[in-house]
Amino acid sequence: MSKLLKRALKNSLIPAVLMIAGKALGIFILSAKYGFPLEIGNDVTGLFSTQIYFQDSDVTNFVNSVSDLVMLITIAVPTIYLITKTAIFQSTIQNPKTIVKVTKFNILKWITRDDTTFLKIFLWCAFLWLCSALIIKNSIEGDTYSWIGITAGLISLFCGFGSLKTFEVETNKVYPSNSKYY
Amino acid sequence: MRKSEVKKILLLVVEPLAFGILALLFIIPTITVVNLEPLTKTLKEFDVLGLSNKAELQITIVGGTHQAFEKERLESTDGVYKYTTILKGRESDRYSKPILEIVNNKDEETILEIYGYTHLPTKSDITMIVNDQVYRLQRPNGDVETQQLLLLPRQKYILYLAIENFSNVQFDEDFELSIKEI
Repeated sequence: MSKLLKRALKNSLIPAVLMIAGKALGIFILSAKYGFPLEIGNDVTGLFSTQIYFQDSDVTNFVNSVSDLVMLITIAVPTIYLITKTAIFQSTIQNPKTIVKVTKFNILKWITRDDTTFLKIFLWCAFLWLCSALIIKNSIEGDTYSWIGITAGLISLFCGFGSLKTFEVETNKVYPSNSKYY
Repeated sequence: MRKSEVKKILLLVVEPLAFGILALLFIIPTITVVNLEPLTKTLKEFDVLGLSNKAELQITIVGGTHQAFEKERLESTDGVYKYTTILKGRESDRYSKPILEIVNNKDEETILEIYGYTHLPTKSDITMIVNDQVYRLQRPNGDVETQQLLLLPRQKYILYLAIENFSNVQFDEDFELSIKEI
């Protein structure tokens, strides 16, 4: 089995688990906190047919919106962290001033080791796009507040742009631009 | 067979499997999150013996999947139940689906006033069926008829929605069913 495939499998596990955990915890913690009565049934036939029911449509909308937001945060925060870390790491190589700033903010740990690969960022970003797609679909259908859908769209757009920049940096390592190195 | 050859054959089998697992790592969280999305349903109220004792009308959505009916919702405001669904674009035929479960928990007869219509006339004959009795809701020319349904005490009814059209319907249409106790 190729090394790339092994690493892809290894790196996909955490976001996949976090995606489900974020959504499920969002629903159950919110129901427990506000005391919303819920019922778990399996009325729908087919694969994964378990359904969570709430009595009131406003409650359903609220719980779905907040759980979507929790899911988005659980995936978006590590993705943004990975992209920022890589961006700072690259910046310190090109610009010594960044090291001073990094020291000032006491985040030297972020740049001492380049352990964030493009593959990792790409996989996290792919999960973020998945989450955003589901949230935007829910927003369009009126199951989630529209501002959460807009936020998800914007975050996925910026992270997509960030991962593209990381890809550029990675390809520059393999094929350096002529003006710089020759 | 030499050991290296066995390893080579094994790798040929394992690699496609690993790709499948990687794909599943994306598919399973997506399906799970979609299934975790909460729905609205009137929850059963039980007393200490586990028996429902609330003497009122109980209307719940049946749910499930159907090729012609999509995004079913049931909302209740001030004693008026509003069932909405999207009637998908379809070939000329007759389609029916159980949509609501109505339980009269009262010790007396109850009469329901029911009317349903599509927002745009699509020359579909729309009826509802309760206990093999057909009630017309909307004629193919768009005329809407209000129907009255007599519910016997302590009886459960399943309401079917049936649509029939003699020509193909190309577009999706919004259908609304209003149920009021009189």
